[in-house]
Amino acid sequence: MAQDRKSSWRAYTAWDYEKELEDLDKASREGWQLVRGGCFHNKFVKNPAVRYRYQLDFGRIEDMGRYIETFREQGWEYVNSTFNGWHYFRKAWDPSLPDSAYEIYTERSGLPEMEKRWARIAGIVGMVLLGFAGFWLWTTIRRFQLPNLIMTLMPAVEAGFLLRGWYIMRNPNSPRKRGGESRLFALLLAVILLGSAAAVTLTCLRPHFTTSQQAASAEYPAEDNDWLDFTVKYPDNYFLDLKMQAEEPMTFSIVNEAGEVVFTKTETDFEARDLRLRLPAGKYRYRLSLSGTGAFLVECELE
Amino acid sequence: MKRSEPMSESYYYILLCLAKGANHGYGIMQLTEKLSGGDVTIGSGTMYGATSNMMKKGWIREILSDEPGVERRRLYQLTDAGREALRGEIERLRRMLDNAEGV
Repeated sequence: MAQDRKSSWRAYTAWDYEKELEDLDKASREGWQLVRGGCFHNKFVKNPAVRYRYQLDFGRIEDMGRYIETFREQGWEYVNSTFNGWHYFRKAWDPSLPDSAYEIYTERSGLPEMEKRWARIAGIVGMVLLGFAGFWLWTTIRRFQLPNLIMTLMPAVEAGFLLRGWYIMRNPNSPRKRGGESRLFALLLAVILLGSAAAVTLTCLRPHFTTSQQAASAEYPAEDNDWLDFTVKYPDNYFLDLKMQAEEPMTFSIVNEAGEVVFTKTETDFEARDLRLRLPAGKYRYRLSLSGTGAFLVECELE
Repeated sequence: MKRSEPMSESYYYILLCLAKGANHGYGIMQLTEKLSGGDVTIGSGTMYGATSNMMKKGWIREILSDEPGVERRRLYQLTDAGREALRGEIERLRRMLDNAEGV
């Protein structure tokens, strides 16, 4: 069988939709007719006998039947819709008609409705993403750690990209046929994919646990009572929340493989959050020493 | 009198076309071009958006044709509120023209 079907993988940004239309028209001229438009990939069949012009619409359609009929009345054939609200239409190309015969938004004042609709949604989503970035920025300022930093940068980059598109779409003089946006979009997707993978991996590799030990009385004063082991897989800042209560002073320490003390506290009543430990990769151990036989309580959380 | 926002060109012509009687989208489009001498066209996207919004405002309603041959064809019909809105807009435009004549 001859090659009579093909797919093209290319993502267009909303504010570059005229570039997509231009590419669809070009494909039609070359005999490839769109049968299914998608966010990331378009499907074509070979039919050199016809030629179409395409239009894209955007929005949530309440009455699909009336919508398709309204377009059909003016010679538009409905192709399909994407999950995120884009609708593809095509009309047989007639060389005697001017370009204006293929316009679907004809209001002469202001932006076309679909651009307004898109800009409204993009503006809201962009602000929500900025909100996420703000939340993670606050978390990062409190706890400067690699996964938090990635979680701050990702929504910030996404918001920047989207709000740039929002700005372009709202500016009636900026072209909707920019080109180059696809590459930028691919780059953004790569950043999101790699960033998410890195954030998940780095989070999973971290030691993260809560643990506590307490007794009404220690039977004998314990010297260097090794308590718990943990492993640090990559160097980063790690944060300790620690609470200690004891009748006689007790010592809580963290030692590394070589036996060097990287953190130590000797207290009877102590509570602190966000104690920063800069730990290289390696194995570590909690160590508890009691100076008497009285009641004690220790609670700690490492992240 | 309550001041209303100026109407967009397409809203105005759709209401104007429907003042002559119920019509379908294509009929409105053709009549608009005829009335405006080809100056105003209403594309499908603008038509769907404008009719949706005006149905929500209660200016027009959807009815089904009972004409033989085209039974059950979707038609738009002007409501009393729509007629009132059109009258208001015409008055506004007339005042604007009168003002121009006074200059």
